[in-house]
Amino acid sequence: MTSKILLAYDGSEPADKAYGFALDMAKHYGAKLLVLAVARPPDLPEDVETEAILENAEAHYQELFALMRKRAEVQGLSPDFRVVVGHPAEQIIYHAEKEGVDHIVLGHRGKSFFERWRLGSVSKQVINYAHCAVTVVR
Amino acid sequence: MTETWALAALWLGLALVATLFSIWLRIATALSEIVVGTVAQLFIGASIGAALLQTDASWIKFLSGTGAIVLTFLAGAELDPAVFRVKWKEASAVGLVGFSAPFLGCAALAYYVLHWNLQASWLAGVALSTTSVAVVYAVMLEFGLNKTDYGKTVLAACFINDLVTVLALGLLFAPFTFKTLLFVVGSVAAFAVLPWLTPRFFKRYGGRPSELEAKYLLFCLFGLGALAGWSGSEAVLPAYVIGMVLAGTVGKDHALIRRLRTLTFGLLTPFYFIRAGSLVSVPALVGAPMVFLILLAGKMAAKFVGVYPVTKLYKSPPKEAMYTTMLMSTGLTFGTISSLYGLSHGIIDQTEYSFLVAAVIGSAVVPTLIANAFFLPRHLLPRDPEIPAGPALAPQASESKP
Repeated sequence: MTSKILLAYDGSEPADKAYGFALDMAKHYGAKLLVLAVARPPDLPEDVETEAILENAEAHYQELFALMRKRAEVQGLSPDFRVVVGHPAEQIIYHAEKEGVDHIVLGHRGKSFFERWRLGSVSKQVINYAHCAVTVVR
Repeated sequence: MTETWALAALWLGLALVATLFSIWLRIATALSEIVVGTVAQLFIGASIGAALLQTDASWIKFLSGTGAIVLTFLAGAELDPAVFRVKWKEASAVGLVGFSAPFLGCAALAYYVLHWNLQASWLAGVALSTTSVAVVYAVMLEFGLNKTDYGKTVLAACFINDLVTVLALGLLFAPFTFKTLLFVVGSVAAFAVLPWLTPRFFKRYGGRPSELEAKYLLFCLFGLGALAGWSGSEAVLPAYVIGMVLAGTVGKDHALIRRLRTLTFGLLTPFYFIRAGSLVSVPALVGAPMVFLILLAGKMAAKFVGVYPVTKLYKSPPKEAMYTTMLMSTGLTFGTISSLYGLSHGIIDQTEYSFLVAAVIGSAVVPTLIANAFFLPRHLLPRDPEIPAGPALAPQASESKP
Protein backbone atom coordinates (compact mmCIF):
# COMPACT_ATOMS: atom_id res chain seq x y z
CA MET A 1 0.00 0.00 0.00
CA THR A 2 1.43 3.35 -1.02
CA SER A 3 0.41 6.14 1.35
CA LYS A 4 3.02 8.81 0.77
CA ILE A 5 4.89 9.64 -2.44
CA LEU A 6 7.85 11.97 -2.85
CA LEU A 7 8.39 13.55 -6.25
CA ALA A 8 11.89 14.92 -6.77
CA TYR A 9 11.40 17.92 -9.02
CA ASP A 10 14.02 19.99 -10.85
CA GLY A 11 11.87 21.93 -13.33
CA SER A 12 13.01 19.87 -16.33
CA GLU A 13 10.79 18.21 -18.93
CA PRO A 14 11.43 14.69 -17.54
CA ALA A 15 10.53 16.04 -14.06
CA ASP A 16 7.24 17.32 -15.48
CA LYS A 17 6.52 13.86 -16.88
CA ALA A 18 7.40 12.39 -13.50
CA TYR A 19 4.97 14.84 -11.88
CA GLY A 20 2.16 13.59 -14.13
CA PHE A 21 3.08 10.02 -13.19
CA ALA A 22 3.19 10.89 -9.48
CA LEU A 23 -0.22 12.60 -9.67
CA ASP A 24 -1.75 9.52 -11.30
CA MET A 25 -0.16 7.31 -8.70
CA ALA A 26 -1.28 9.51 -5.79
CA LYS A 27 -4.83 9.52 -7.14
CA HIS A 28 -4.82 5.79 -7.73
CA TYR A 29 -3.60 4.92 -4.22
CA GLY A 30 -5.21 7.87 -2.43
CA ALA A 31 -1.70 8.78 -1.29
CA LYS A 32 -0.25 12.07 -0.09
CA LEU A 33 2.21 13.72 -2.48
CA LEU A 34 5.26 15.69 -1.45
CA VAL A 35 6.99 17.64 -4.26
CA LEU A 36 10.59 18.37 -3.33
CA ALA A 37 12.87 20.72 -5.26
CA VAL A 38 16.52 21.06 -4.27
CA ALA A 39 18.39 24.35 -4.67
CA ARG A 40 22.03 23.42 -5.07
CA PRO A 41 24.75 25.93 -4.16
CA PRO A 42 27.87 25.90 -6.38
CA ASP A 43 30.36 23.18 -5.44
CA LEU A 44 32.99 25.87 -4.93
CA PRO A 45 30.82 28.65 -3.56
CA GLU A 46 31.28 32.37 -3.04
CA ASP A 47 29.53 34.77 -0.73
CA VAL A 48 26.92 37.05 -2.33
CA GLU A 49 26.64 34.82 -5.38
CA THR A 50 25.59 31.82 -3.27
CA GLU A 51 22.87 33.89 -1.60
CA ALA A 52 21.71 35.04 -5.04
CA ILE A 53 21.62 31.48 -6.42
CA LEU A 54 19.56 30.19 -3.49
CA GLU A 55 17.06 33.04 -3.66
CA ASN A 56 16.82 32.75 -7.42
CA ALA A 57 16.16 29.00 -7.18
CA GLU A 58 13.50 29.53 -4.50
CA ALA A 59 11.71 32.16 -6.61
CA HIS A 60 12.00 30.00 -9.76
CA TYR A 61 10.54 26.92 -8.06
CA GLN A 62 7.74 28.87 -6.38
CA GLU A 63 6.62 30.10 -9.82
CA LEU A 64 6.64 26.55 -11.16
CA PHE A 65 4.86 25.26 -8.05
CA ALA A 66 1.99 27.72 -8.62
CA LEU A 67 1.33 26.14 -12.04
CA MET A 68 1.79 22.62 -10.68
CA ARG A 69 -0.65 23.30 -7.86
CA LYS A 70 -3.35 24.21 -10.40
CA ARG A 71 -2.63 21.04 -12.37
CA ALA A 72 -3.04 18.95 -9.22
CA GLU A 73 -6.26 20.71 -8.21
CA VAL A 74 -7.83 19.65 -11.51
CA GLN A 75 -7.34 16.06 -10.34
CA GLY A 76 -8.63 16.85 -6.86
CA LEU A 77 -5.20 16.63 -5.24
CA SER A 78 -3.31 19.08 -3.05
CA PRO A 79 0.37 18.16 -2.89
CA ASP A 80 2.81 19.65 -0.40
CA PHE A 81 5.49 21.70 -2.22
CA ARG A 82 8.92 22.38 -0.70
CA VAL A 83 12.30 23.83 -1.70
CA VAL A 84 15.31 22.65 0.27
CA VAL A 85 19.04 23.39 -0.05
CA GLY A 86 21.89 20.94 -0.58
CA HIS A 87 23.04 18.03 -2.70
CA PRO A 88 20.02 16.65 -4.60
CA ALA A 89 20.38 12.91 -3.93
CA GLU A 90 21.14 13.38 -0.25
CA GLN A 91 18.26 15.76 0.30
CA ILE A 92 15.81 13.51 -1.56
CA ILE A 93 16.83 10.49 0.51
CA TYR A 94 16.94 12.43 3.77
CA HIS A 95 13.47 13.91 3.32
CA ALA A 96 12.03 10.63 2.09
CA GLU A 97 13.13 8.94 5.34
CA LYS A 98 12.17 11.87 7.54
CA GLU A 99 8.67 12.09 6.06
CA GLY A 100 8.08 8.34 6.07
CA VAL A 101 7.68 8.24 2.29
CA ASP A 102 7.13 4.83 0.77
CA HIS A 103 7.69 5.66 -2.89
CA ILE A 104 10.08 8.11 -4.57
CA VAL A 105 9.39 9.26 -8.14
CA LEU A 106 11.90 11.18 -10.22
CA GLY A 107 12.53 12.01 -13.84
CA HIS A 108 15.38 10.60 -15.88
CA ARG A 109 17.77 13.26 -17.12
CA GLY A 110 19.99 12.51 -20.09
CA LYS A 111 23.18 14.19 -18.97
CA SER A 112 26.28 14.63 -21.10
CA PHE A 113 29.35 12.56 -20.30
CA PHE A 114 30.95 15.61 -18.74
CA GLU A 115 28.00 16.29 -16.43
CA ARG A 116 27.83 12.64 -15.38
CA TRP A 117 31.54 12.68 -14.62
CA ARG A 118 31.26 15.88 -12.57
CA LEU A 119 27.95 15.35 -10.83
CA GLY A 120 27.12 11.69 -11.06
CA SER A 121 23.56 10.61 -11.64
CA VAL A 122 21.06 11.71 -9.02
CA SER A 123 18.64 8.93 -9.94
CA LYS A 124 21.39 6.32 -9.61
CA GLN A 125 22.34 7.61 -6.16
CA VAL A 126 18.72 7.69 -5.04
CA ILE A 127 18.15 4.11 -6.25
CA ASN A 128 21.31 2.99 -4.45
CA TYR A 129 20.54 4.60 -1.11
CA ALA A 130 16.75 4.95 -0.83
CA HIS A 131 14.93 3.02 1.90
CA CYS A 132 11.82 2.61 -0.25
CA ALA A 133 10.65 1.93 -3.82
CA VAL A 134 11.99 4.27 -6.48
CA THR A 135 10.47 4.93 -9.90
CA VAL A 136 12.53 6.71 -12.57
CA VAL A 137 10.20 8.09 -15.24
CA ARG A 138 11.55 8.34 -18.78
CA MET B 1 35.92 55.69 -28.29
CA THR B 2 36.59 52.76 -30.64
CA GLU B 3 39.49 51.55 -28.52
CA THR B 4 37.40 51.76 -25.34
CA TRP B 5 34.52 49.75 -26.88
CA ALA B 6 36.98 47.14 -28.15
CA LEU B 7 38.60 46.89 -24.73
CA ALA B 8 35.19 46.64 -23.03
CA ALA B 9 34.24 43.87 -25.48
CA LEU B 10 37.46 42.01 -24.65
CA TRP B 11 36.79 42.21 -20.88
CA LEU B 12 33.16 41.18 -21.16
CA GLY B 13 34.16 38.41 -23.58
CA LEU B 14 36.49 37.10 -20.88
CA ALA B 15 33.66 37.47 -18.33
CA LEU B 16 31.39 35.45 -20.60
CA VAL B 17 33.99 32.68 -20.93
CA ALA B 18 34.46 32.68 -17.14
CA THR B 19 30.70 32.43 -16.61
CA LEU B 20 30.43 29.48 -19.01
CA PHE B 21 33.24 27.71 -17.15
CA SER B 22 31.47 28.38 -13.85
CA ILE B 23 28.28 26.82 -15.24
CA TRP B 24 30.05 23.77 -16.69
CA LEU B 25 32.16 23.18 -13.59
CA ARG B 26 29.50 24.28 -11.06
CA ILE B 27 31.86 26.68 -9.35
CA ALA B 28 31.37 30.30 -8.24
CA THR B 29 31.65 32.78 -11.11
CA ALA B 30 33.94 34.97 -8.99
CA LEU B 31 36.47 32.16 -8.73
CA SER B 32 36.23 31.43 -12.44
CA GLU B 33 36.71 35.13 -13.29
CA ILE B 34 39.88 35.40 -11.18
CA VAL B 35 41.38 32.34 -12.84
CA VAL B 36 40.36 33.52 -16.34
CA GLY B 37 41.92 36.92 -15.57
CA THR B 38 45.19 35.29 -14.51
CA VAL B 39 45.31 32.95 -17.50
CA ALA B 40 44.29 35.70 -19.96
CA GLN B 41 46.99 38.04 -18.70
CA LEU B 42 49.53 35.23 -18.88
CA PHE B 43 48.73 34.23 -22.45
CA ILE B 44 47.81 37.63 -23.85
CA GLY B 45 50.85 39.07 -22.13
CA ALA B 46 53.12 36.40 -23.62
CA SER B 47 51.67 36.41 -27.13
CA ILE B 48 50.40 39.94 -27.82
CA GLY B 49 51.65 42.24 -25.08
CA ALA B 50 51.04 42.75 -21.38
CA ALA B 51 49.37 46.14 -21.95
CA LEU B 52 46.47 44.78 -24.03
CA LEU B 53 44.14 44.30 -21.05
CA GLN B 54 44.99 47.81 -19.77
CA THR B 55 44.26 46.90 -16.16
CA ASP B 56 45.33 50.39 -15.07
CA ALA B 57 42.96 52.29 -17.40
CA SER B 58 41.00 54.69 -15.20
CA TRP B 59 37.55 53.48 -16.33
CA ILE B 60 38.48 49.85 -15.69
CA LYS B 61 39.73 50.77 -12.21
CA PHE B 62 36.47 52.67 -11.62
CA LEU B 63 34.23 49.75 -12.65
CA SER B 64 36.42 47.35 -10.70
CA GLY B 65 36.37 49.52 -7.57
CA THR B 66 32.61 50.03 -7.84
CA GLY B 67 32.23 46.25 -8.13
CA ALA B 68 34.13 45.76 -4.86
CA ILE B 69 32.07 48.44 -3.09
CA VAL B 70 28.65 47.21 -4.23
CA LEU B 71 29.58 43.57 -3.62
CA THR B 72 30.67 44.46 -0.09
CA PHE B 73 27.43 46.38 0.45
CA LEU B 74 25.40 43.35 -0.69
CA ALA B 75 27.43 41.10 1.64
CA GLY B 76 26.61 43.42 4.55
CA ALA B 77 22.93 43.52 3.57
CA GLU B 78 22.70 39.71 4.00
CA LEU B 79 22.68 40.25 7.76
CA ASP B 80 19.55 39.07 9.55
CA PRO B 81 19.07 41.78 12.21
CA ALA B 82 16.59 39.68 14.21
CA VAL B 83 19.09 36.82 14.58
CA PHE B 84 21.89 39.27 15.28
CA ARG B 85 19.99 41.02 18.07
CA VAL B 86 19.33 37.74 19.84
CA LYS B 87 22.80 36.26 19.46
CA TRP B 88 25.15 39.21 19.35
CA LYS B 89 27.04 38.40 22.57
CA GLU B 90 27.91 34.81 21.69
CA ALA B 91 28.41 35.74 18.05
CA SER B 92 30.82 38.53 18.94
CA ALA B 93 32.97 36.13 20.96
CA VAL B 94 32.95 33.47 18.23
CA GLY B 95 33.44 36.00 15.42
CA LEU B 96 36.35 37.69 17.18
CA VAL B 97 38.07 34.34 17.71
CA GLY B 98 37.29 33.38 14.08
CA PHE B 99 38.99 36.59 12.98
CA SER B 100 41.88 36.89 15.38
CA ALA B 101 43.18 33.30 15.14
CA PRO B 102 43.90 33.47 11.37
CA PHE B 103 44.74 37.18 11.53
CA LEU B 104 47.46 36.77 14.15
CA GLY B 105 48.51 33.33 12.94
CA CYS B 106 48.94 34.29 9.29
CA ALA B 107 50.54 37.63 10.13
CA ALA B 108 53.06 35.82 12.33
CA LEU B 109 53.66 33.26 9.62
CA ALA B 110 54.29 35.97 7.02
CA TYR B 111 56.59 37.93 9.35
CA TYR B 112 58.62 35.20 11.01
CA VAL B 113 58.62 32.43 8.40
CA LEU B 114 58.34 34.27 5.08
CA HIS B 115 60.21 37.36 6.35
CA TRP B 116 57.75 39.88 4.87
CA ASN B 117 57.89 43.37 6.34
CA LEU B 118 55.56 44.26 9.22
CA GLN B 119 52.92 46.12 7.17
CA ALA B 120 52.80 43.36 4.53
CA SER B 121 52.49 40.74 7.27
CA TRP B 122 49.53 42.54 8.88
CA LEU B 123 47.88 42.75 5.47
CA ALA B 124 48.44 39.02 4.94
CA GLY B 125 46.71 38.48 8.29
CA VAL B 126 43.73 40.60 7.23
CA ALA B 127 43.42 38.98 3.77
CA LEU B 128 43.46 35.47 5.24
CA SER B 129 41.17 36.11 8.21
CA THR B 130 37.93 36.37 6.22
CA THR B 131 34.98 34.03 6.07
CA SER B 132 31.94 33.79 3.83
CA VAL B 133 28.51 34.36 5.35
CA ALA B 134 26.39 33.03 2.47
CA VAL B 135 28.49 29.88 2.09
CA VAL B 136 28.03 29.06 5.77
CA TYR B 137 24.35 30.01 5.49
CA ALA B 138 23.94 27.45 2.68
CA VAL B 139 25.55 24.81 4.89
CA MET B 140 23.23 25.68 7.75
CA LEU B 141 20.20 25.42 5.44
CA GLU B 142 21.46 22.08 4.16
CA PHE B 143 21.56 20.67 7.69
CA GLY B 144 18.41 22.50 8.76
CA LEU B 145 20.52 24.25 11.43
CA ASN B 146 19.66 27.80 10.42
CA LYS B 147 16.86 27.94 12.98
CA THR B 148 18.86 26.42 15.84
CA ASP B 149 20.87 28.36 18.45
CA TYR B 150 24.04 26.91 17.01
CA GLY B 151 23.22 27.89 13.42
CA LYS B 152 22.16 31.42 14.39
CA THR B 153 25.30 31.94 16.47
CA VAL B 154 27.64 30.73 13.73
CA LEU B 155 25.89 32.87 11.11
CA ALA B 156 25.99 36.01 13.24
CA ALA B 157 29.62 35.21 14.08
CA CYS B 158 30.46 35.20 10.37
CA PHE B 159 29.19 38.79 10.17
CA ILE B 160 31.30 39.83 13.15
CA ASN B 161 34.30 38.10 11.58
CA ASP B 162 33.88 39.99 8.31
CA LEU B 163 33.05 43.25 10.08
CA VAL B 164 36.29 43.05 12.06
CA THR B 165 38.12 42.20 8.82
CA VAL B 166 36.86 45.35 7.05
CA LEU B 167 37.47 47.41 10.20
CA ALA B 168 41.04 46.11 10.31
CA LEU B 169 41.50 46.82 6.61
CA GLY B 170 39.99 50.29 6.92
CA LEU B 171 41.76 51.37 10.08
CA LEU B 172 44.97 49.31 10.46
CA PHE B 173 46.72 51.10 7.61
CA ALA B 174 45.02 54.48 8.07
CA PRO B 175 47.40 57.35 8.93
CA PHE B 176 45.25 58.43 11.94
CA THR B 177 45.27 62.12 11.26
CA PHE B 178 42.55 64.76 11.62
CA LYS B 179 41.09 63.39 8.37
CA THR B 180 40.67 59.96 9.97
CA LEU B 181 38.74 61.55 12.82
CA LEU B 182 36.45 63.34 10.35
CA PHE B 183 35.92 60.09 8.47
CA VAL B 184 34.99 58.24 11.67
CA VAL B 185 32.64 61.01 12.85
CA GLY B 186 31.04 61.38 9.39
CA SER B 187 30.59 57.63 9.01
CA VAL B 188 29.08 57.13 12.46
CA ALA B 189 26.63 59.98 11.77
CA ALA B 190 25.69 58.44 8.42
CA PHE B 191 25.27 54.96 9.94
CA ALA B 192 22.94 56.44 12.55
CA VAL B 193 20.84 58.47 10.10
CA LEU B 194 20.59 56.05 7.14
CA PRO B 195 18.39 53.36 8.76
CA TRP B 196 15.90 56.09 9.72
CA LEU B 197 16.07 58.15 6.54
CA THR B 198 16.27 55.45 3.84
CA PRO B 199 12.93 53.65 4.32
CA ARG B 200 11.08 56.97 4.59
CA PHE B 201 12.79 58.35 1.50
CA PHE B 202 12.06 55.17 -0.49
CA LYS B 203 8.45 55.10 0.71
CA ARG B 204 7.87 58.64 -0.52
CA TYR B 205 9.80 58.64 -3.81
CA GLY B 206 10.68 55.02 -4.58
CA GLY B 207 9.04 52.27 -6.61
CA ARG B 208 9.29 54.12 -9.95
CA PRO B 209 11.00 53.13 -13.20
CA SER B 210 13.59 55.87 -12.62
CA GLU B 211 15.36 53.51 -10.15
CA LEU B 212 15.73 56.17 -7.49
CA GLU B 213 16.70 53.53 -4.92
CA ALA B 214 19.78 52.39 -6.86
CA LYS B 215 20.92 55.99 -7.42
CA TYR B 216 20.43 56.82 -3.74
CA LEU B 217 22.39 53.78 -2.56
CA LEU B 218 25.22 54.40 -5.04
CA PHE B 219 25.31 58.04 -3.92
CA CYS B 220 25.72 56.95 -0.28
CA LEU B 221 28.34 54.32 -1.16
CA PHE B 222 30.38 56.67 -3.36
CA GLY B 223 30.04 59.56 -0.91
CA LEU B 224 31.26 57.64 2.12
CA GLY B 225 33.78 55.80 -0.08
CA ALA B 226 35.25 59.16 -1.12
CA LEU B 227 35.42 60.24 2.52
CA ALA B 228 37.16 56.97 3.39
CA GLY B 229 39.65 57.33 0.52
CA TRP B 230 40.32 60.98 1.40
CA SER B 231 41.14 60.02 4.98
CA GLY B 232 43.50 57.26 3.85
CA SER B 233 41.08 54.45 4.70
CA GLU B 234 39.28 52.00 2.39
CA ALA B 235 35.89 52.46 0.67
CA VAL B 236 34.70 48.91 1.41
CA LEU B 237 34.62 49.69 5.15
CA PRO B 238 31.65 52.11 5.01
CA ALA B 239 30.08 49.99 2.24
CA TYR B 240 29.92 46.90 4.48
CA VAL B 241 28.56 48.83 7.45
CA ILE B 242 25.97 50.62 5.27
CA GLY B 243 24.89 47.17 4.09
CA MET B 244 24.58 46.00 7.70
CA VAL B 245 22.64 49.01 8.97
CA LEU B 246 20.27 48.84 5.99
CA ALA B 247 19.87 45.04 6.15
CA GLY B 248 16.60 45.34 8.03
CA THR B 249 15.09 47.73 5.45
CA VAL B 250 16.80 47.69 2.03
CA GLY B 251 18.03 44.12 2.60
CA LYS B 252 14.42 42.94 2.92
CA ASP B 253 13.45 44.48 -0.43
CA HIS B 254 14.23 41.42 -2.54
CA ALA B 255 13.28 43.09 -5.82
CA LEU B 256 15.75 45.92 -5.20
CA ILE B 257 18.51 43.53 -4.10
CA ARG B 258 17.91 41.47 -7.25
CA ARG B 259 18.23 44.57 -9.44
CA LEU B 260 21.44 45.54 -7.68
CA ARG B 261 22.76 42.03 -8.20
CA THR B 262 22.04 42.29 -11.93
CA LEU B 263 24.10 45.46 -12.09
CA THR B 264 26.83 43.94 -9.92
CA PHE B 265 27.21 40.51 -11.51
CA GLY B 266 26.39 41.65 -15.03
CA LEU B 267 28.83 44.54 -15.28
CA LEU B 268 30.82 45.43 -12.19
CA THR B 269 32.26 42.31 -10.55
CA PRO B 270 33.61 40.82 -13.81
CA PHE B 271 35.89 43.85 -14.02
CA TYR B 272 36.79 43.52 -10.36
CA PHE B 273 37.57 39.79 -10.29
CA ILE B 274 39.21 39.60 -13.74
CA ARG B 275 41.41 42.57 -12.83
CA ALA B 276 42.27 40.96 -9.48
CA GLY B 277 43.24 37.79 -11.35
CA SER B 278 45.18 39.57 -14.08
CA LEU B 279 47.49 41.18 -11.50
CA VAL B 280 48.61 37.75 -10.26
CA SER B 281 52.10 36.85 -11.43
CA VAL B 282 52.15 33.17 -12.40
CA PRO B 283 55.96 33.08 -12.74
CA ALA B 284 56.24 34.31 -9.12
CA LEU B 285 53.90 31.54 -7.96
CA VAL B 286 55.69 28.85 -9.94
CA GLY B 287 59.04 30.14 -8.69
CA ALA B 288 58.16 29.67 -5.00
CA PRO B 289 55.11 27.42 -4.59
CA MET B 290 55.94 26.71 -0.94
CA VAL B 291 55.08 30.30 0.03
CA PHE B 292 51.53 29.84 -1.25
CA LEU B 293 51.23 26.48 0.48
CA ILE B 294 52.49 27.89 3.79
CA LEU B 295 49.95 30.73 3.70
CA LEU B 296 47.11 28.39 2.76
CA ALA B 297 48.01 25.85 5.43
CA GLY B 298 48.36 28.70 7.93
CA LYS B 299 44.87 30.01 7.21
CA MET B 300 43.24 26.58 7.37
CA ALA B 301 45.06 25.60 10.57
CA ALA B 302 44.27 28.94 12.26
CA LYS B 303 40.58 28.76 11.27
CA PHE B 304 40.48 25.22 12.63
CA VAL B 305 41.95 26.37 15.95
CA GLY B 306 39.53 29.30 16.11
CA VAL B 307 36.26 27.75 14.91
CA TYR B 308 36.29 23.99 15.60
CA PRO B 309 36.27 24.31 19.43
CA VAL B 310 33.21 26.57 19.15
CA THR B 311 31.31 24.02 17.11
CA LYS B 312 32.20 21.40 19.71
CA LEU B 313 31.11 23.76 22.48
CA TYR B 314 27.64 23.65 20.91
CA LYS B 315 27.89 19.84 20.80
CA SER B 316 27.78 19.69 17.01
CA PRO B 317 28.41 16.14 15.75
CA PRO B 318 32.09 15.69 14.67
CA LYS B 319 31.53 15.53 10.91
CA GLU B 320 29.09 18.44 10.81
CA ALA B 321 31.45 20.42 13.03
CA MET B 322 34.34 19.74 10.68
CA TYR B 323 32.23 20.52 7.60
CA THR B 324 31.20 23.88 9.09
CA THR B 325 34.78 24.66 10.12
CA MET B 326 36.07 23.87 6.65
CA LEU B 327 33.51 26.05 4.91
CA MET B 328 34.14 28.92 7.32
CA SER B 329 37.66 28.98 5.87
CA THR B 330 36.41 30.25 2.50
CA GLY B 331 36.37 33.98 1.83
CA LEU B 332 37.14 35.02 -1.71
CA THR B 333 35.50 38.46 -1.75
CA PHE B 334 37.16 40.09 1.25
CA GLY B 335 40.39 38.16 0.69
CA THR B 336 40.88 39.58 -2.79
CA ILE B 337 39.65 43.06 -1.75
CA SER B 338 42.25 43.14 1.04
CA SER B 339 45.02 41.89 -1.23
CA LEU B 340 44.17 44.40 -3.97
CA TYR B 341 44.05 47.19 -1.38
CA GLY B 342 47.55 46.19 -0.25
CA LEU B 343 48.88 46.17 -3.81
CA SER B 344 47.29 49.47 -4.83
CA HIS B 345 48.52 51.22 -1.66
CA GLY B 346 52.07 49.86 -1.95
CA ILE B 347 51.78 47.79 1.26
CA ILE B 348 52.65 44.60 -0.62
CA ASP B 349 54.44 44.07 -3.96
CA GLN B 350 53.13 42.07 -6.91
CA THR B 351 54.88 38.88 -5.81
CA GLU B 352 53.37 39.04 -2.31
CA TYR B 353 49.99 39.94 -3.87
CA SER B 354 50.22 36.85 -6.10
CA PHE B 355 50.91 34.59 -3.13
CA LEU B 356 48.07 36.10 -1.13
CA VAL B 357 45.49 35.84 -3.94
CA ALA B 358 46.59 32.26 -4.66
CA ALA B 359 46.20 31.43 -0.96
CA VAL B 360 42.77 33.11 -0.90
CA ILE B 361 41.69 31.09 -3.96
CA GLY B 362 43.16 27.97 -2.38
CA SER B 363 41.19 28.71 0.78
CA ALA B 364 38.00 28.74 -1.30
CA VAL B 365 38.86 25.54 -3.17
CA VAL B 366 40.81 23.22 -0.87
CA PRO B 367 38.60 23.30 2.27
CA THR B 368 35.48 22.85 0.14
CA LEU B 369 36.95 19.87 -1.68
CA ILE B 370 38.15 18.28 1.58
CA ALA B 371 34.81 19.03 3.28
CA ASN B 372 32.81 17.49 0.43
CA ALA B 373 35.11 14.49 0.06
CA PHE B 374 35.55 13.51 3.69
CA PHE B 375 33.28 15.43 6.03
CA LEU B 376 29.97 15.77 4.25
CA PRO B 377 27.58 14.43 6.88
CA ARG B 378 26.58 11.03 5.63
CA HIS B 379 23.54 10.76 7.86
CA LEU B 380 21.71 11.99 4.78
CA LEU B 381 22.89 8.83 3.01
CA PRO B 382 21.97 6.17 5.53
CA ARG B 383 22.94 2.96 3.76
CA ASP B 384 26.12 1.60 2.26
CA PRO B 385 25.23 0.92 -1.40
CA GLU B 386 27.94 -1.73 -1.69
CA ILE B 387 26.20 -4.01 0.81
CA PRO B 388 23.88 -6.26 -1.14
CA ALA B 389 20.47 -5.80 0.39
CA GLY B 390 18.10 -8.67 0.98
CA PRO B 391 14.64 -8.68 -0.61
CA ALA B 392 13.09 -7.02 2.42
CA LEU B 393 15.66 -4.21 2.39
CA ALA B 394 16.27 -3.81 -1.30
CA PRO B 395 14.78 -0.66 -2.76
CA GLN B 396 12.48 -1.47 -5.62
CA ALA B 397 13.67 0.44 -8.64
CA SER B 398 11.59 0.64 -11.74
CA GLU B 399 11.63 2.75 -14.86
CA SER B 400 8.36 3.85 -16.35
CA LYS B 401 7.44 5.49 -19.61
CA PRO B 402 4.16 7.33 -19.27
